[in-house]
Amino acid sequence: MAVAAHLPDRRLLVVTAMPVAAFLVLLAALAAASPGLLEAGSLLTLADSAAPLTVLAAGATIVVLCGGIDLSVAALASLASVLLASWAPGLHGWAVPAVVTLCALAGAVQGLVHVAFRIPSFVVTLGGMTLWSALALLASGAATVPMPDSTPTDWAFTRLGGLVPSAVLVALGTMAALAALLRVTPLGRWVRAVGHAEPAARLAGLPIARIKVIAFALSGGTAGLAGVLLVARTFSGAPTLADSLLLPAVAAIVVGGTAITGGHGALWRTLVGAGIVTLLRVGLSYAGVDAAYESILYGVLVVGAVALTIDRSKVSIVK
Amino acid sequence: MIEVSGLRKAYPGVVALDGVSLQIRPGEVVGLAGENGAGKSTLLKALVGLVRPDEGTISVRGRQVRLRGVAEAAAHGIGMVFQEQSLVPNLTAAENILLGCEGSGVRLGVYRWRRLRELAQAQLDKIGSRVDPMARTETLSFAERQMVEIAKVLAIEERTKEPPVVLLDEPTSVLETEEIETLFAQIERLRKHASVVFVSHRLDEVLQVCDRVYVLRGGQVAGEIDPATADAADLHRMMIGTEATGSHYHDDLHTPPERESVRLSVRGLCGDGFSDVSFDLARGEVVAVAGVHGSGREELCRALFGGRAITAGQVELDGETVRLSSPRDAVRAGLGYVPSERKVEGIVAAMSVAENMALPHTGALAREAQAVEEWIERLRIKTPDRHTAIGTLSGGNQQKVVLARWLLTGSLRVLLLDHPTRGLDVGAKSEVYRLIRDLSASGVSVLMLADSLEECIAMSDRVLVMKEGRVTMTLHTPPGAKPDPVELVKEMV
Repeated sequence: MAVAAHLPDRRLLVVTAMPVAAFLVLLAALAAASPGLLEAGSLLTLADSAAPLTVLAAGATIVVLCGGIDLSVAALASLASVLLASWAPGLHGWAVPAVVTLCALAGAVQGLVHVAFRIPSFVVTLGGMTLWSALALLASGAATVPMPDSTPTDWAFTRLGGLVPSAVLVALGTMAALAALLRVTPLGRWVRAVGHAEPAARLAGLPIARIKVIAFALSGGTAGLAGVLLVARTFSGAPTLADSLLLPAVAAIVVGGTAITGGHGALWRTLVGAGIVTLLRVGLSYAGVDAAYESILYGVLVVGAVALTIDRSKVSIVK
Repeated sequence: MIEVSGLRKAYPGVVALDGVSLQIRPGEVVGLAGENGAGKSTLLKALVGLVRPDEGTISVRGRQVRLRGVAEAAAHGIGMVFQEQSLVPNLTAAENILLGCEGSGVRLGVYRWRRLRELAQAQLDKIGSRVDPMARTETLSFAERQMVEIAKVLAIEERTKEPPVVLLDEPTSVLETEEIETLFAQIERLRKHASVVFVSHRLDEVLQVCDRVYVLRGGQVAGEIDPATADAADLHRMMIGTEATGSHYHDDLHTPPERESVRLSVRGLCGDGFSDVSFDLARGEVVAVAGVHGSGREELCRALFGGRAITAGQVELDGETVRLSSPRDAVRAGLGYVPSERKVEGIVAAMSVAENMALPHTGALAREAQAVEEWIERLRIKTPDRHTAIGTLSGGNQQKVVLARWLLTGSLRVLLLDHPTRGLDVGAKSEVYRLIRDLSASGVSVLMLADSLEECIAMSDRVLVMKEGRVTMTLHTPPGAKPDPVELVKEMV
């Protein structure tokens, strides 16, 4: 018990220092191999390529902080891309908020099912994942849906002042907005309390069900926004457009130091995590490694990061 | 057989064992008595290797041993019958009895059922139990499963070739009268095969069954009692010791309740574990609910906070009917609850003092920080600052934070306290009592499940006695007219 009492400090040190150190080491290694990388232009391009992943992982981080997981985000982002491409001709600029809102609702529905029927979140969102994928296939006729007129999404794939990619600002803005929401309202405290000790949170009179549904709605909403970013850069929607981003998104969350067991973690960590994942991907392709090996790396990364960040005081039996 | 010497075990904020020494001789039934938090459980756990003592030694048959788990304790001939039973429900009784030490019951990795049955039967025979060794454990009654557990502990003998030591932790707490009689007969029979350590809250049982009784108090051995010459009152007196003074409970701060002003009115309340419970709580009144395990008082307290379903009946708060279908409802109605499992249900250990105190709070953050600082000062909570993780504080200070949670908003009307002083040291207890007195003076009504009878009587204006889910008696306990704890015990059992 004495160990448990001191755990937070030691944990925090390890879990905070390691992701930041890993990010810097990766950056240094890549810069050593390719000195041009540290120029502003290439750094911004790197950040631009990390933006959709960052947004995708942002809301999902809040679900993980609650002690759950949202496996549906990538499929939902794919669905969002299809819907956006199909609706843009009719709804024009309104297609973007419509898609994001719809995805937030889809997330909320998953949250409601999780809370109301007391089904583990990974099962609900695994079901959700297949459901959104199927809907995306149906809506698109299993084909890529082109955007004949890209005006509604041009804002999300441009360079401000000819330099700063707008997607990077969208990603940072999303992170900042969510972080502010968690900090200024009691939601942040409530989300972590639910993740750390749900029984205590319940007996403190917290609206547990509402907190979880909000977390899933935010996760769905950011997944939709990630879909928008992807459409903006590919000028089309596709039913599997974001599917390959699921494992990298989970990796970004846990590699940043957020514990899969809930409670411990923060949004800025996911930003660092997304940075690490992106640098690794770039590094691998630079080293000429086949893209198929990327998935192996993500798998190892997720398992390793979970092993390091998991709160073992909470799980006496791991299933 | 076993010699324990100078055993000490400290947890942050509380010393569970403070230099305990005792002996257990062959063929002897030794009793352990003491209030909650006296150190009985920790001592038993140390004897089966579930708790590693900080200091002190345990010797078995003259050889000093270091126990690092149930398996090692078993290898030295010590086994425990756990309060929360430890059998695998979907295996047969025989499999459970021989689990992990099947011996000749297994050949080439395959069960030899007939041999297994014989081996298990031999253990059951030792206590004359008629449980069918081939019965699936989950189909057996609680009392039968207990017999299987005892048989399982006795099976240790086959390996050590020495009579084992059987530790019985509260074995009678959920048994019927008849089953208790059977158990006592078994314990008599056990003497031929083993030494027994018997722990029970029921003092008459301890005196009836044991040859000698060690009384623990505050982690120390307060004394030894010979059941032949002592009665329950002697035992109880030794258990509570001399700390029982008025100043400990801040009697001077007592304010009489405003009888004519009813705060909480409960009428015909039914739920799982209790039925037809009716009582009133006046403004500023402190009512303690007394009852043994299974009396339904914990369930009642939970239900009043919306943590368990209420199936019938009505609750009125200051004259208005309230619906209590979740803790959130209860909090909004002006109820507060301090759970007995502080570490699991009271605090969020990894979060800060401020976050824990303001957990349900939704107001502005700046004002909240100020209020938190104010309560840290008013309750003299010992913490480096409000950002410190609450898990690093002592139990008493953690409990003060949990209490402050309900005081922060100033809208508290009724406080439900489920063993508020459990696991706290004497000084911290006294501070909690003082806070209860202050709250009562400010008009908050308190419903309390006390940790000991003495606390129950000392802190309350009235005591409700619960038995088998019903309120069987109400006792007025104003200052100066406190009843004898022994009287109360008679009503409880």
